[in-house]
Amino acid sequence: TEQPRRITDSFPRRRRRGPGRPPGRLKDKKDKDKVQVKVRDPPRAPSQPPPDPALLEMLRRFDLSWEYGPCTGITRLQRWERAQELGLSPPGPIRDALLEHRDNPDVTYRWVWDGMGG
Amino acid sequence: MFSERAAPTAQGLLAPPSAEPPTFPRVPVAGYSDCSQPFRLGERSFSRQYAHIYAVRLAGMRPALERRARGRWGSDIALRKLSELQAGEKCCVVGTLFKDMQLQPSILQEISEEHNLVPQPPLPKYIQPSDELILEDELQRIKLEGAIDVQRLVTGTIVAVYGSEQEDGRFLVEDHCFADLPPPLPWDGPSSDRFVLLASGLGLGSVSGEALLSTQLLVDVVTGQLGAEGEQSCAAHITRVILAGNLLSQNTQSRDTINKAKYLTKKTQAASVEAVKMLDEILLQLCTSVPVDVMPGEFDPTNYTLPQQPLHRCMLPLASAYATLRLVTNPYQANLDGVRFLGTSGQNISDIFKYSSMDDYLEILEWTLLAGHISPTAPDTLGCYPFYKSDPFILTECPHVYFCGNAPRFQSKLLQGKEGQRVLLVTVPDFSATQTACLVNLRDLSCQPISFSGFGADSDD
Repeated sequence: TEQPRRITDSFPRRRRRGPGRPPGRLKDKKDKDKVQVKVRDPPRAPSQPPPDPALLEMLRRFDLSWEYGPCTGITRLQRWERAQELGLSPPGPIRDALLEHRDNPDVTYRWVWDGMGG
Repeated sequence: MFSERAAPTAQGLLAPPSAEPPTFPRVPVAGYSDCSQPFRLGERSFSRQYAHIYAVRLAGMRPALERRARGRWGSDIALRKLSELQAGEKCCVVGTLFKDMQLQPSILQEISEEHNLVPQPPLPKYIQPSDELILEDELQRIKLEGAIDVQRLVTGTIVAVYGSEQEDGRFLVEDHCFADLPPPLPWDGPSSDRFVLLASGLGLGSVSGEALLSTQLLVDVVTGQLGAEGEQSCAAHITRVILAGNLLSQNTQSRDTINKAKYLTKKTQAASVEAVKMLDEILLQLCTSVPVDVMPGEFDPTNYTLPQQPLHRCMLPLASAYATLRLVTNPYQANLDGVRFLGTSGQNISDIFKYSSMDDYLEILEWTLLAGHISPTAPDTLGCYPFYKSDPFILTECPHVYFCGNAPRFQSKLLQGKEGQRVLLVTVPDFSATQTACLVNLRDLSCQPISFSGFGADSDD
């Protein structure tokens, strides 16, 4: 009698450890005394001074200009690059400002109302 | 073609076996390059709305349409946006069509409690005489009437209309045009006969096993195990096999197990597991002999939205060992021996069939080519990935062979364009229903069907 062919014959099971993951995580799970506190990363200190309101206003106008297509759900840089590829000639200073302040979430994304990502 | 060459040597079957059986080496793969990179999705994000894909579709096709409009109605016509329209002025507007259909299934209608409606059963066609066409551009929309066939057109097509705005706010169309055939590709085809076998709808895992004999006959013809020396030498000229979707039957998509509780279905195996094992064995036989490109279809285990990603190779362990097996996307585009192939597994054509008065699959296939877009109804009625940067379904170059799978019957047509385009349109029939596949000759872009049938208990002979 021959064994039924299993998919694990061709693709053997392997215990996967992601890179950088410490081995033996089962030990930590038993430690229930530790209070599970969700620690969020502290807001990253901007390396540059915060962008001035005039810049944010310029970006908001860029969002609202209908020539470059919808602004929801994509970063401003993605929208700028898409407009560039479609030949709509978006203004260069916008891209420079986006790259200069790329760490600041208020700059990279379109303005978010009530935290909805669109 | 195929059979003419085979006929004279058929007597060889009745001769005594020769000492040295002749061998026929298969024609080598001269040139192959996969061009379906735009249809491959890397990291997927579904947190976008579909407004992006419509915006890039219009922005991407607008230049071509404006060129066509100028060529057709004069280079001095006024190209206006809808916001710039003045009543009575003859002008041309480029925009996206939207067909307002009463019978179009709407999820909002179904869940609305005020209507208290039973969900609408699926119909073969959703068209009605009361449907209306609306043209949308980046900012506004306007109802269309006049010299435009409302029943024939579908939502999502980019069109240029020529006419004027009436007093009641509708646009009276005097003439309209589409993007027409895309620019031609240079021809670099082979000088001798090379065949590509197109088959779709193998339908494995169905309840009835009638089509299995025909499938085995197909595999035997391609691998040269059927027929006399004539047929075998012809089969040696087949350079590639393309399976255009629906390798599994619709029966493998059983909905009962999905609705039952998990503890009742723990031991039951999905019907597709057996079917995929059968597919693996069939592909193994084919792959040992000829390069095979496998496209997923509507009932195959891959994602539902277009573009469908290739089947995972872990499902086909026996066949994946061979480099001749290529698991490709749906739609699929590739250069085979200098001939550009582009095709889908048929979901785009059958979706247009449901929402248009066009009945003939070949007519719809030709229409998508002339409209410049593989699947205009995506994402409205056909699931589609929310692209934002560009619409990969826009036709930028004219392929030499344009096919769609899972059609009700085999049809083919050689289309000649004004700029020197030569396209072979092929509707590949559903193999499980028709037992017919297609052979395309790359030398002269001719196409012939090849049918298989077995003698069952019911047949007369």
